[in-house]
Amino acid sequence: MDAMAAVKQTFFQECEEQLAELETGLLAMERGEAESDTVNAVFRAVHSIKGGAGAFSLEGLVQFAHVFETTLDHVRNGALEPTADVMAVMLRAADLLADLVAAARDGHTVDSGRSEVLVGELTALSPGGAEAEAEEEDDMSDFSFTPVTVAFDFSDAPVDIGRSYTITFKPRPELYAKGNETVLVLRELERLGELEINCDASGLPSLAALDPEGAYLEWTIKLTTEKGEDAIREVFEFVEWDSSLTIQAADAGSSDAEPGADSTEDAFAALLRSIQGDEAAQPATTAEIIPLPSAEEREAVAEVEAQPTKAAAARNSESGANANAGAPQTIRADLERVDRLIDLVGELVINQAMLSQRVMEAGHVPGSAVALGLDELEHLTREIQDCVMAIRAQAVKSVFQRIPRLVREVASMTGKQVRLITDGEGTEVDKTVIDRLNDPLTHMIRNAIDHGLEKPEVRIAAGKPAEGVVRLSAMHRSGRIVIEVADDGAGINRSRVKAIAVEKGLIAADAVLSDEEIDNLIFLPGFSTASEVSNISGRGVGMDVVKRSIQGLGGRLSITSRPGKGSTFTMSLPLTLAVLDGMVVTVADQTLVVPLTAIIETLQPKAADVHGLGGGSRVIAIRDAFTPLIDVGRELGFRNTATDPLAGVAILVETEGGRRSALLVDTIQGQRQVVIKSLESNYRHVPGIAAATILGDGRVALIIDVDTVIANSQSDATILEPVLAAAG
Amino acid sequence: MTTVSDPSQRILELAAALDFRAAAPLTESLLAMRGTALTIDASRVERIGGQCLQVLLSAQQTWSADDTALSFTNLTPGFVEGLRLLGFSEADFTKEEMPE
Repeated sequence: MDAMAAVKQTFFQECEEQLAELETGLLAMERGEAESDTVNAVFRAVHSIKGGAGAFSLEGLVQFAHVFETTLDHVRNGALEPTADVMAVMLRAADLLADLVAAARDGHTVDSGRSEVLVGELTALSPGGAEAEAEEEDDMSDFSFTPVTVAFDFSDAPVDIGRSYTITFKPRPELYAKGNETVLVLRELERLGELEINCDASGLPSLAALDPEGAYLEWTIKLTTEKGEDAIREVFEFVEWDSSLTIQAADAGSSDAEPGADSTEDAFAALLRSIQGDEAAQPATTAEIIPLPSAEEREAVAEVEAQPTKAAAARNSESGANANAGAPQTIRADLERVDRLIDLVGELVINQAMLSQRVMEAGHVPGSAVALGLDELEHLTREIQDCVMAIRAQAVKSVFQRIPRLVREVASMTGKQVRLITDGEGTEVDKTVIDRLNDPLTHMIRNAIDHGLEKPEVRIAAGKPAEGVVRLSAMHRSGRIVIEVADDGAGINRSRVKAIAVEKGLIAADAVLSDEEIDNLIFLPGFSTASEVSNISGRGVGMDVVKRSIQGLGGRLSITSRPGKGSTFTMSLPLTLAVLDGMVVTVADQTLVVPLTAIIETLQPKAADVHGLGGGSRVIAIRDAFTPLIDVGRELGFRNTATDPLAGVAILVETEGGRRSALLVDTIQGQRQVVIKSLESNYRHVPGIAAATILGDGRVALIIDVDTVIANSQSDATILEPVLAAAG
Repeated sequence: MTTVSDPSQRILELAAALDFRAAAPLTESLLAMRGTALTIDASRVERIGGQCLQVLLSAQQTWSADDTALSFTNLTPGFVEGLRLLGFSEADFTKEEMPE
């Protein structure tokens, strides 16, 4: 990846973070928590995206962010009240901004009509309406100095031809290294007014001594502008930490003006900064910034040294764009490096297990010095493994933060009123799990709103509030992460579900099922309760697919439902996909691992319980139910002849759709945690095998893909189903 | 960036984008030509940033100290606009002395 692509990638990563901040802030504002910190954070998020997008010439993104930012600025300065209507537009604007960022990243386009509509709505919200914004837009597209009418004109104030500032700006090498550029900063500055730019090249070394990636030049800029100092600071917002910057205001150019009148804006700005802690460490300077109503020329100097001083830290925490002073420090690391580390630690765990085994084989008894040393090594290895896994752990917030938008969209499409409550956003889980959580969760939320919640009039008739509640929560439980999607809707209509299952031939008409069993019917392949395929849930994906994808992650999905009170879908997932709890078994002298999550119980088959069905198929009776008995050795091609079930062990596993099968293996060696090694990347895909691991004795053990093995065995013996139905 | 060999005068053609990525290769090319009379051809330049400006200014300084001729030719509007924003004029690059 070249340097520019890397910088761009970082920009898009930062956009994701800013969009998350934006969403969080807007939702807080929607709840009525429009404190200045929140509004500032929201404003900064949009402003940061705009700034970065400008550096990459992403014009569409810049234009929209600019309009959005202008409207937010009105909220920030109190000119626009963040009412529910205003916030609804803001939230939709945030959604569009996210789409524009995604479009810029992935190289596709967003419907321009959508953008135009929102620009219109945002503009209409601004005090002064469309005219003021139109002038602002003209100003943006023109690099040359054009005097513009300030939107909030103090009509009784005298005409002001502008104020003069002297700015000194000396970039440091980091400024360029981060993809920023002096030319762009100066161009942005020129939009504020008339510039007189002088460059001091006296610090420049000869070519032989010059570091091409260094920074030697210093600029002194005289700016005449009608804007306040805040507007100037905004221009330098992204570079002030990587440069030395001073902004010095002089009263030049306004001698005709009544001294106190035009300084109102600056005085407010300075006061605001002072309140927000901007000048916390420089109270004397703050006093100087406020121009006094005196005819004599005064100078006010506000200097921001781009050093991590106390004042800088105060400003930093005020801005909310960077980490708060008390927040933990973080670094960005290449995921590949972390994965490599995890791989190596996995090797270490395997190696340590092999060493232990060799030591035991060499005759060292437990309790001997060598064995004790090995115990300590094992302890340490496990600790390292936990720490390394923790690096990859991410809060589910990154998935949860997409949900409010989804809820808004689905609510508006279904005409339902929905309030989303999220809980446990900080719950951490491995990145591999996070990455694959989005689709099932999206479907579950859609399902909860579309099928779970009732329409407002139905809810009111049932004595419930018109607004339905969807609660999304995450928590750690028994070394797994549990995510629940609960709605306070009507609950599962069991008689209807059962009728549909009968109609679709999924169950016998006279089948006697418990409530729980009926609820679980919705996970069967081919089941869909919607009488008409809706645009929301019915996208060709049923709950069976959701369940299967969760099982693919080594997870389980269950449902509890109470009529009239609502339903709760609970998914339980492993915290990582890098290690797995498995049962180590032997089949035809091969060592295999069966994932523990799939196993319900193990049993010793008895002669009376096993029945042959012809074609090599067998079933086993387990507590009055017949379950297919699958000979794993034959299924995977380890042997050609059927093994004696009485000599082996049956492992009862649950398949997709809740069906159960029994896997016949020779012996069970034990239960242990194994490090997962991809078979695809090291060898090739093998049907029926999910992955591999290396055992303590150095042998490779294959991890069984339970679902595939069962699916294959069923396709081998299609005759089984009707026979089973007859038997059941 | 390409160079054209000429016994009396060497020509260095600047890249279109003189951004932060171009500064290091530009320095290398210039250092390789140190001691020879040089014409820098800016006909392809679309934009110039602070770091490449440094390199060009330093080259002017260095050639001047070496008492060797260095001149710029074919300044494009993009190049001149960049120079203007960075506090220089076309004249600073069409005369041979180091600009103050």
